[in-house]
Amino acid sequence: MVVVAVTGKGGTGKTVVSALLIHFISKVTTRVLAVDADPDSNLPEALGVTNQVKKTLGDIREVFQISRDNMGAMDKEQWLEGKIYSEAISECDSYDLLVMGRPEGEGCYCFANSLLRGVLRKLMRHYDYIIIDSEAGLEHFSRKTIDSADFILVITDMSKKGLSTAKRIKEMSKELKLNFKGIYLIGNRIMSKDAEEIIKKFADEEGIPLIGFLPYDEKISELDMRGLPITNLPEDSEFAKKVKEIAELVVGVSIKIR
Amino acid sequence: MVERKRIEIPEGLKVKEVPGEEAEFPFDISPMYEGERIRKGEFFVELGGQPLGKAGFELVIALPPDQVEDMKVTIVGKDLDEIEEEGAYGFAMIYYVAGEMIEEDLEPVIERRNHDFQNYIEGYMHLQQRHDIWCRISKSAVKKGLKSLTQIAKATMMLFKNELPFIEKIEAIYSTDEEFNKKVLDELAWPIYNARDARVEAISDEEVDEFYSCHLCQSFAPTNVCIVSPDRPALCGAITWFDGRAAARVDPEGPNRPVPKGELIDAIKGEYSGVNEYAAEESGGEYTRICLHSFFDAPHTSCGCFETIGFYMPEVDGIGFVHRGYPDVAPNGLPFSTMAGQTGGGKQILGFLGVGVAYFRSKKFLQADGGWRRVVWMAKELKERIKDYIPEEMRDKIATEEDAKTLDELKEFLRRVEHPVVTGVIREVDGQKITDGWIEEEEVVEEVAEEVAEAPAAPTAAPMPMQMPTMQMPAQVGFQLPMPQPTAAPGGIRLVIKDAKIKIDKVIVKKAEEKKKK
Repeated sequence: MVVVAVTGKGGTGKTVVSALLIHFISKVTTRVLAVDADPDSNLPEALGVTNQVKKTLGDIREVFQISRDNMGAMDKEQWLEGKIYSEAISECDSYDLLVMGRPEGEGCYCFANSLLRGVLRKLMRHYDYIIIDSEAGLEHFSRKTIDSADFILVITDMSKKGLSTAKRIKEMSKELKLNFKGIYLIGNRIMSKDAEEIIKKFADEEGIPLIGFLPYDEKISELDMRGLPITNLPEDSEFAKKVKEIAELVVGVSIKIR
Repeated sequence: MVERKRIEIPEGLKVKEVPGEEAEFPFDISPMYEGERIRKGEFFVELGGQPLGKAGFELVIALPPDQVEDMKVTIVGKDLDEIEEEGAYGFAMIYYVAGEMIEEDLEPVIERRNHDFQNYIEGYMHLQQRHDIWCRISKSAVKKGLKSLTQIAKATMMLFKNELPFIEKIEAIYSTDEEFNKKVLDELAWPIYNARDARVEAISDEEVDEFYSCHLCQSFAPTNVCIVSPDRPALCGAITWFDGRAAARVDPEGPNRPVPKGELIDAIKGEYSGVNEYAAEESGGEYTRICLHSFFDAPHTSCGCFETIGFYMPEVDGIGFVHRGYPDVAPNGLPFSTMAGQTGGGKQILGFLGVGVAYFRSKKFLQADGGWRRVVWMAKELKERIKDYIPEEMRDKIATEEDAKTLDELKEFLRRVEHPVVTGVIREVDGQKITDGWIEEEEVVEEVAEEVAEAPAAPTAAPMPMQMPTMQMPAQVGFQLPMPQPTAAPGGIRLVIKDAKIKIDKVIVKKAEEKKKK
């Protein structure tokens, strides 16, 4: 099991990168779990599988909170596990998809979350790759719903904010003891040499190795605009080729660490 | 009571019988396969997990030893060699078990382990439970030599006997015949599942030897002592005694651990020596007693996760309940959030009690204090939710915010409906009169400081919540006043009034200027 978390400031394109990584890695093996861990994201749309998503993990947790008094002699962990496997995991052609969905409501979620952590831990270890599209707050990591990440890919655009978020993510990843083997920076929609220099300098200073720059691609904006899956991006486009390289890098390094 | 007997397999059905143990299996068996998800495209066959006839169920039945043929498997309907690849079939797994220690009560305990053991099998996925199971067998398992469901059954039975040695004999029927399955499910399995659920509702503190603790919330309430008993589910609403037992069996060092009940000290309050010892140890000596069904004497502590809060209103000598989602102030003038601050944190607070919604179902619901007869107010949404569990005689006598928003309105309501607190509550459990009602008396008898006495035989308890800026004492009510333990109350005073009948318009409790030595 290799866990790759793709994160970064909102709007930097982490969902685009996640979707393409999932697309390329699931060509190597179908034991891939895609996780949408950003309540504001739309990984299913980017992957073009929105109609396959029935429920989110958050939905199931809410149903659990309401119906737990009426479960009689049933085992609650088995109930929760069954619901997650049958309703929260969407079976796509070459990967499974889990949408974390809404955050907790009011009330106590200690028991639900404790069960949930156990179920996810057992589930995840059976995949070769888990690709997580995560918001910059790393909420699911801090709550230990997901307890580790092998590689953290931080996406930044040409903004100061993108870089400060990257810095914060690195600090937080250490505090959360995610046991990551590497944290890397990827510049996205980089259109000037100046910006590249600034990002390179930042990467050196902060000790976040830079994997590379992804160009601005009009086709992506167009697909976005029309709500079409990002996986429609021609594979010979500069952007797709670069992400494919990153996918190969991840797979290559993963095989080494296994 | 559903009679337990061998299931008759109608003539004409395709049946395969394989007795005896299996020496070798074409698959690995290990806990590392737990959670294995067999993906779409990877499965050879899907069993159960579908509506309409393709449903799956599992059932364990206890039988006398002479009726169980050890390690025999009977397959009814198609086996793996006759099914269509990537097809979906109905599925039933029925186990007969026998052993000196095995009784009907153990059936569900054994049954839920089917999930664990089957998940140890490589290339086999088992999900859910009872009437709702869903299994997949992988193509790679078939490629490695899995030929028959009998191999799955034999491996599972072997695990049952290894892991649960009290099972002396076990026999299995696996069926993919949808008509046969439907008949067994409707006529035998459902009545048994329903009887088990009824049993969960009916089981009482007296019937078991141990309760379970819960440590899930200890990080933010270190002195909290959570005891989950059959008659008192956890206040967070999440954990019943059965959940505690299941968790403790899987991981005895985990968040739920067994607490031996010990001697029964007070049946009405629900006080047990084992619980007291555990409480003293767990709270670091902060409290030495915990009564499970008492509001006023050594009540259960609250971590902070309570679904509802019970609050005592001395003015009417009754208890109100408010749930987390109630946005307004209760008749005592406080919103849920303020009361939650009082109640939580693992302290034994007299006057407030955190309870789970499921506790309203309990037959021992606050029985020491008059149970439902002492309840005077509930937020409407909460009352609606648990309406069916309120005894008929009390259902219309408990006010909601629609009937009363203030204490004056509440008093008027209670008088109008002739609520028991007005004339005095007679406790249902032993027929004893425990409150005097709203008697017009103005006689101060005694005021004593220090020393909390053991509760007398007929306590008329009127505890005083601390930390409220000003509070009204119960007017014209005969009462005893056990104050919170010094450690629990930041006020730094302890006031005990015994057998007193007093009338006070207002008491102001202020923090002492200087630190009191204690």
